Amino acid sequence: MSSTEFQNGRRSIEEAIKPPTFGERMARYRLIAQDALLELYKSKTAFVGLLMLVALVTILLLTPVISEYNPVKPDYSAFLQKPSAEHIMGTDRYGRDIYSRVLWGGRRLVMIAILAVVFGLAIGIPYGVLSGYYGGWTDSIAMRICDGLLAFPGILLYLLIVTLAREWQLEGFWNDLILIFALGFAFFPEAARLVRSTVLTEKEKEYVEASHTIGEANLYIAMRQILPNCISPLIVNATVRLGYVILIIAALSFLGLGSPPPTPDWGADLSSARDHMEQNPLLAVFPGLAICYTVLAFNLFGDGLRDILDPRLVDR
Amino acid sequence: MLIYVINRILQMIPVLFVLTVVVFSFVQLLPGDVIDTLIGDEEAEDPELRALLLKEYGLDQPIYVQYGIWLGKALQGDFGKSLITRRPVSIELFESIPATVYLGLVGISLSILIAVPLGSIAAVKRNSPTDYTAQVVSLIGISIPEFWFAIMCVILFSLHLGWLPSSGYVSPLEDIGQSIYYLILPALAVGFRQAAYTTRLTRSSMLDEMNKEYVDTARSLGFSEPKVIYKYTLRNALIPTITISGLQLANLLGGTVVLETIFAWPGIGQAIYLAIIDHDYPLIQAGILVLGIIVVVVNLLVDLLYRVLNPRVALG
Repeated sequence: MSSTEFQNGRRSIEEAIKPPTFGERMARYRLIAQDALLELYKSKTAFVGLLMLVALVTILLLTPVISEYNPVKPDYSAFLQKPSAEHIMGTDRYGRDIYSRVLWGGRRLVMIAILAVVFGLAIGIPYGVLSGYYGGWTDSIAMRICDGLLAFPGILLYLLIVTLAREWQLEGFWNDLILIFALGFAFFPEAARLVRSTVLTEKEKEYVEASHTIGEANLYIAMRQILPNCISPLIVNATVRLGYVILIIAALSFLGLGSPPPTPDWGADLSSARDHMEQNPLLAVFPGLAICYTVLAFNLFGDGLRDILDPRLVDR
Repeated sequence: MLIYVINRILQMIPVLFVLTVVVFSFVQLLPGDVIDTLIGDEEAEDPELRALLLKEYGLDQPIYVQYGIWLGKALQGDFGKSLITRRPVSIELFESIPATVYLGLVGISLSILIAVPLGSIAAVKRNSPTDYTAQVVSLIGISIPEFWFAIMCVILFSLHLGWLPSSGYVSPLEDIGQSIYYLILPALAVGFRQAAYTTRLTRSSMLDEMNKEYVDTARSLGFSEPKVIYKYTLRNALIPTITISGLQLANLLGGTVVLETIFAWPGIGQAIYLAIIDHDYPLIQAGILVLGIIVVVVNLLVDLLYRVLNPRVALG
């Protein structure tokens, strides 16, 4: 009798340490996802923002299907038309369909913005973690460099880099790449400082000391143990930053420093719409509304996420 | 306090160093020779003239010596001559600063006048329809690109209603009435986005203050509610609001590039924009450097002002 009991006991230990099956793992992920959705649902801003983003991504993914016209092909039989059944947002001065241009422009814009923020995070995170973790002189120098870069007001750092790119006469893909580089490069000091400030508090905690005691490598502690605890403010920051980056790209291409025509581009289209403000003021309305919608979606989602992830703000 | 001020000024040095290095590298990274940039194509062919210019501009020296020479000249306000107008860059810039500062100050003041009442009412009536409206409006406000808002204002107030001029500038020293007439639309465009930020800021710092104990004390002493709110709470809540508005002023100086271009406002932003269009490198370089320095100095002043307004902040 005692032996069966022992065996039962042993079986349960084995069960406890054996890795979860695929089904079990999926069930756990589903629970986590459900929790996350529930949290999102509680914050109205985050939920509305999420819905707007889902709608945006769906529309942009479906662009090749739902845009009926070629966004860059001129149609001289139909320029500067008011919205109609054929062209629901009208046409521009070359007779190009605004609706198609807004959609294709959005695809490009959102893609560039996401890549730029990812690039900024890819530099900023290791930079900030290591700076905060090692402290001392490394940290001082690293942070002064950030301060210097942050001292460039507004869009000037982008202007500088993008102007330089224009002088090198890069085209198409390479031009977009420079834009991504410029936007990401200007974001990295902010990301780095944010991570660093969280790392400074995290590294004093017991678990870090414990890791030191058992002889883990510094790099491992910094990147694999401390970093995961600093993620949530970064997510919020990156989301809000996406909206900001979209505004910057629009402003740069409005100034004629985006990609050369005839690439569909919200900022550049707005700029050329200014020449026809008297004949067709609606021309300037749609690309602007598209920018507002996209930026608002990211801002709402980011704002809501902040409320969820920062328990200090719970009662607001 | 004195030690703190000295400390802060010392901290500015590395920031300015990074700033100057980035701006200096800009011209170095341009394609082709600096000589090509400085003189015309035919002249650049002449090897003797080339050697002479190399020596004159110190371009035969190692790069760090060149940086030193450039910095020394820049410190004396010598940024070279504009490639277009052939006038000293410092004079070109100096002439454009007043217009920018004028627009920036009026824009910021306008935003504070709108945002502080709106933000404090939203905080006092937290979670009421008024609060939600203020929050939604300010969130939309920060999502609207300022140049689009400017264009929409021009379409509405200049083209449709014909109330205001669509662009132009009159110095307030010449004719104050005309000057204000031309100022309204640009200032509105600058102030609008700023007002959205400041409203959010005022609301959250009011909420922070209202949770503090002195507010309860004041109430328990029998002070009337308006007195508690407007005499004590708002005063304290305004400290961070005013500080951040000050910091925004610096940012705004760099961000006015687009707005000044739209309204043909002869400020430093438009000067830099035109320089970019004309490939006028000395002007771009100097303009960005000057704006960067203004930002660093304004930030320092605001920081000091913050400590004067709020003696509780430790000087650290």
